[in-house]
Amino acid sequence: MNGEVDSPETMTTEEGDVFDPRAAAALLEQTRERAQRQLDMRPPLLMLLAAVLVLLCYGELWLSVRGQQPYSGPSGTALVVLYAILFVWIAVVAIVVGRATSGVSGRSSRQKRAAGITFATIYVLVYVFDGALNVAGAGPAIVYGIYPAAAPLIIVGAAAAAYEAGQEHWGWSAFALAVVALAAVAAYSGPVNVWGVIGVGFSLLLLARAVSHIRHGQRAARAHTDGL
Amino acid sequence: MGSDQLDPIIHAPARLRIVATLAALPDGDRLSFTRLQDMIGLTPGNLITHLRRLELAGYIATEKTGNGPASLTTATLTHEGRMALDTYAAALRALITGL
Repeated sequence: MNGEVDSPETMTTEEGDVFDPRAAAALLEQTRERAQRQLDMRPPLLMLLAAVLVLLCYGELWLSVRGQQPYSGPSGTALVVLYAILFVWIAVVAIVVGRATSGVSGRSSRQKRAAGITFATIYVLVYVFDGALNVAGAGPAIVYGIYPAAAPLIIVGAAAAAYEAGQEHWGWSAFALAVVALAAVAAYSGPVNVWGVIGVGFSLLLLARAVSHIRHGQRAARAHTDGL
Repeated sequence: MGSDQLDPIIHAPARLRIVATLAALPDGDRLSFTRLQDMIGLTPGNLITHLRRLELAGYIATEKTGNGPASLTTATLTHEGRMALDTYAAALRALITGL
């Protein structure tokens, strides 16, 4: 301790090692940032990938229905490509979420699991309802166009907005509401263009959310650094 | 500013990293021993030693479930631990501002 126990420059630990406050502040900040990054289930890279995949999915569906007269819906090939992209997406999400939540237990992780199952169930039921519309005689423009393009985003998005608001995650809640608004407005563009409008719009919203997430992380890091 | 203003329980690199890592979890969530070790990069023996020190101070709580190879040890930051980290960060801030 060199006889200077009161000098912050030479502050020592219980074990007798020198550990000055600036080094401690830097270590605290690095550890916080690293832990938050490692525990983040929605890292910006995942959102960037989502933006690309959304554009691919909706884009190829739009290409497959473009010029149809009368409207008959996406082609079989387009649906096969869609399912392949969805499979890749589910696999990537499973890996990212699995890594982030590995070894984590407790109330919030139970809530997230329950929320994930609920959203997945709602998503499936939205398509079950689409089947009911078909049975009731709704035309292809609704059953294979406007409804499957917009309804999942409106219904799951509304549920997500409410859930995130309940968690006081205002940024995510606003993002979900923006997706709902986009889908609702895009439905007016008709069964063909609804795919294109949602594809571009949703992709841009995901990009904006990824940028906002990165900036929020940088602001939080700066606030901690300035605070220390 | 004196060294007594920095909590000696937290003011050690390994324990500071443990507390800061557990603080990144939502309140009440637990982290397994192996994940914590993986995130911090300490040897098991070192980690156990520092966890015991923090637990004795009431800053963390550990829980062991199961027996043998299937046993799982988890750690969580207590309310006191979270408060102590906030106080420690404030004391660091005051010290650095005063330098």
